[in-house]
Amino acid sequence: MFLKVQLPWNVIISVEDLDAKGLMLQRSIVIRLLDDFACKKATKDLGYFLAVTTLDSVGEGKVRQHSGDVLFPVVFSGITFKLFRGEILDGVVHDVFKHGVLLRCGPVKKIFLSNLKMADYKYVPGENPVFLNDKLSKIGKDVTVRCMVIETRWLEAEREFQALVSLEGDFLGPVSQQVRHITGMSPRRCSLCK
Amino acid sequence: MAEKGGNGSSVPSQAVKYSLKSATSNRASAKGKDDSSGKPKKARKVQFVSEGLGDGIFGFSSGGKVDSLLNKLNLGKGGKGDKTGKAAKSSAPKELLPLELRFEHELPKHAKCLMDCEATEILQGIQEQMVILSEDPTIKIPVSFDCGLQYAKNGIHYADRASVRRALEPLTQYGVTEGEICVIGNVCPETPDEVFALVPSLKAKKSKLAEPLKDVLAELVKLKKAT
Repeated sequence: MFLKVQLPWNVIISVEDLDAKGLMLQRSIVIRLLDDFACKKATKDLGYFLAVTTLDSVGEGKVRQHSGDVLFPVVFSGITFKLFRGEILDGVVHDVFKHGVLLRCGPVKKIFLSNLKMADYKYVPGENPVFLNDKLSKIGKDVTVRCMVIETRWLEAEREFQALVSLEGDFLGPVSQQVRHITGMSPRRCSLCK
Repeated sequence: MAEKGGNGSSVPSQAVKYSLKSATSNRASAKGKDDSSGKPKKARKVQFVSEGLGDGIFGFSSGGKVDSLLNKLNLGKGGKGDKTGKAAKSSAPKELLPLELRFEHELPKHAKCLMDCEATEILQGIQEQMVILSEDPTIKIPVSFDCGLQYAKNGIHYADRASVRRALEPLTQYGVTEGEICVIGNVCPETPDEVFALVPSLKAKKSKLAEPLKDVLAELVKLKKAT
């Protein structure tokens, strides 16, 4: 799920970048903010940082005594991405294993769909292993699968999220892109799956 | 900083191999039930970390939150709790409730949900500026930007994005939350049944939502763009 967030932030401007004319100072603040934002990558509360949209306010600068740098408290708006428990997502399979598949969804690269959570499907080994059900609906590499998020986990060291998903429930399963293109209808769980 | 699970329990920093038992080979019993009433016909150990998954790729290995997760995946074990962790809170055998969307409980302060189509509009606007932005080497774009934009663009395409929010607004008077509205907008279900299947938290309001949903979904279909 995409989130629009409004955040307070402390932007530190070094002495060299301070400029009496003001416009260059504003530019320095924006550049520094974008830099800090990009380096952050993600947080547990807000998810993956995607983009800064607006700089809403800039407070009074405070000189830091030891370095001479100036700290500006700012408030900005941005877009983030985070997965929530119970959410429906469309993930793309990038790895197939005997016990399940790994999907990616936006910036989240490690989403695991266990074979236990796609009970209709059986593992078919081979050079390009897939999961197949009785009606020959396939879950394999590069297939888009609509699933529900069971659980998410934040890894502080890697600054990334992992998630577990499930196909238990109606209207979940491989998504047919062709159906969407031809009919303009929303992707549905393939009628062969049920 | 110690890593903590969502419910405050601490999780060991090193990845630990864990195993879970699938208590039955009968896959039909696994279908949405996770109930413990069936006796295990054949216990079998399943190790997620093996077979190329990499060490600790999913370190869902211990802690109260993970135990409850393992119990969800642990079929027919009687809900007694996994050996690897503390006894799970859901120790009594009972049917698991369907997962419910709980955005509002987990949403941080000053954060608002956006539908994929709304996010696409914003991120595409930034992408159009990318040529100018990329000329300045001091400007950094977050690494997740491209993936995020791609995901948003792969969602449902609406001809008129602004109208989507307006079309869904009437549902708020029936107690449908922002998060639930966003899921409906992202999925664009065709029938009320699909809505209730994908957003189980709305089932409690089924009787009063069924009719208004039909109108809203019909409106969404009109706004959709064939790609």
